Amino acid sequence: MTEAARPTTAFIEYKDVTKAFAGKPVLRGMNLAIDRGEVMFIIGTSGVGKSVTIKHLIGLLRIDRGEIWFDGQRVDQLPERALAPLRKRIGMVFQSSTLFDSMTLAENVALPLRKHQRMAWAAALAEAKHRLAQVYMAEHADRYPAELSDGMRKRAAIARTLALDPEVVLFDEPTTGLDPVSARRIDRLIRELAGTLGVTAVVVSHDLPSTFAIADRVAFLYQGVVHLVATPGDLRASPDPIVQQFIGGKSSGPMETPGF
Amino acid sequence: MTAPELPRARWVRHRIEGAGTIVVAAGRAALALWLVYVGTWAGIVRRISRRRAHGGPRGEVGRQLHAIGNRSVVFIVVTLGFIGMVMTYEACLQLARVTGDFSQVGSQLLRLIVSDFGPTLTALMLATRVGAGIAAEIGSMKVTEQIDALRMSGVLPIDYLIVPRFVASLVMTLALSVLGGLVMYAAGGLTAKYSFGVNPSLFFDVSKIRVRHVVLLIVKAVSYGAAIPVIAGFCGLRARGSSEGVGWATTAAVIGGSFAVIVLDFVISAAALLLTGGDL
Repeated sequence: MTEAARPTTAFIEYKDVTKAFAGKPVLRGMNLAIDRGEVMFIIGTSGVGKSVTIKHLIGLLRIDRGEIWFDGQRVDQLPERALAPLRKRIGMVFQSSTLFDSMTLAENVALPLRKHQRMAWAAALAEAKHRLAQVYMAEHADRYPAELSDGMRKRAAIARTLALDPEVVLFDEPTTGLDPVSARRIDRLIRELAGTLGVTAVVVSHDLPSTFAIADRVAFLYQGVVHLVATPGDLRASPDPIVQQFIGGKSSGPMETPGF
Repeated sequence: MTAPELPRARWVRHRIEGAGTIVVAAGRAALALWLVYVGTWAGIVRRISRRRAHGGPRGEVGRQLHAIGNRSVVFIVVTLGFIGMVMTYEACLQLARVTGDFSQVGSQLLRLIVSDFGPTLTALMLATRVGAGIAAEIGSMKVTEQIDALRMSGVLPIDYLIVPRFVASLVMTLALSVLGGLVMYAAGGLTAKYSFGVNPSLFFDVSKIRVRHVVLLIVKAVSYGAAIPVIAGFCGLRARGSSEGVGWATTAAVIGGSFAVIVLDFVISAAALLLTGGDL
C-alpha cells in the first residue's frame, strides 16, 4: 500500500525526509515518488506538511534529514545560487497569489523572464502581455494587483509561473478561496498543462472535487508520512478507516488531528 | 557511585542551559545579521557591475530616496527644531544663574550638533520612522510568501529589497543630518535671542568648528544610515506567521535600530577621542 519498493528512477523522489519547526516534527521520514507528466495531488489535513513538502523541492525550505532527487540530481543540499536553474525548470503557484503590489500585472510576469532568461525589459514586457492573454487577462496587463479580484490575481500568478515554460509546476492550494466556477477553470488549466504540454503538476489541496476530477494519483499525507498513494478511484474504494474519514469529511473517527 | 542531583543543583543546571541556549540563539542571529550586511554590499557590487546586463528594479532607488528622505523632512525639522530650542533654553538658564556669560553658548552648541547631536538625533528619529516602515513592508511580504515568490523569480531578496533602501538611507541620513543640524542651530539661535537677548552674531559663531568635527558627522551619519535599513530589513526577513509576526518584526526593527545608533555613537565617539588624544 505504501510505496516502499519503487525503482529510484522517478522524476521527483523524496527519501526519508524529516523536517521539524521549532522542535515540532512535521515530516517524519516521508517517502514519495512522482513520475514525469503526471498530475499528483498531495492531500491531507491542515498543518500536516503538504506545503512544506513542495517547498523543500525548490529550496524554499531546508530538510533536516533525508534526500530529495529531481531528474537524477540531488537537490536538497544545493546552495541558494545553484537553485536558480532548478527554479527555472520547476515553477510554483503560491497559495496567496503573491503578485508584487508595486508592479503592474505585466511587470510581475516580466520579472522572472528578465531574471531567469536575461531578457531585455521591452521584450520581457511584450512576452508578459502575450502570457497574460493566454489566461484571458490581456486587458488587465497594465493594472495593479490590488485592483483585481482573487480569481484574476490567481490567473495572473499562474501566467507568471508559466512564463518560464517550467517542466514541473507546484500548485499550493490553487482553488482555495475561489468560487466553484473559477476553481473548475483552474482544474481544467492544470489538466491541460499536463495533457498538452507534458508538464508534471504537483498539487497541494484539500479540495476533494478537484482531486477526484483531475488527479492521476493522490498521495495522502498523515502524521508526517505518506499514508497512501493511489489513483482517485482506488482512494475512494480504500478500506482504510482514516482515508474514509478524510474523504467522507467526518468529524469523528480514528484520525488524530493535533490542534483541533 | 553518583549522588542524586539536588534540587538546587538541578535549578542551577537549568539556568545555565537556558542561558547557553540564549547565547547560541543570539550568536546565530548576529551571524545572520552580519550576512545580510555583507550580502547588501555584495548586492551593491553586483548592481553596479551588471546594471547594463539585466538591470535591477527600475527607479527603485529614486522611490526609496523619496520615501526615506523627502517624506521625513517635516518630521526631522520639527523634532530637531524643538530639541534645539530646549537645549539652548536650558543651557542659557543655567548660565544665567551661574555666570551670566552667553558668549560660548552658540559656538559650543554648534560643536555638539556637528560632532554628535545632528547625526545621532536625526538617526534616532529615522530609526523609528524608516526602520518601522522597512520592517513592516518586508515582513508582510515575507508572511504572504512574496519573498518566496521573488526567490522563485530568480531574484535575491536582499538585492531587490534591501539594496535600494540601503543606498537611499546612506544618502538621506547624511542629507537629513545636515538639515536637522542646521534647523537645530537656527532654532537655538532664535531661542537665545528672544528668551535671553543673546546677540545672533555672537551666537552664530562657527570659529570653533574644525575639520575633525565635520569628519565625525559624516562618519556617524553614514554608519547610522547603513545600520538602520540592514537591521530593519533583517527583522522583516525573519518575520514569521501572520500579522503578529509583522508586528514583532516592526518592534524589533525600531528597538534594534535605535539601540544600534546609540551603540555606534558611543563606539565612534570613543574611537574619535582616542585618535585625537582627547582633543576633540
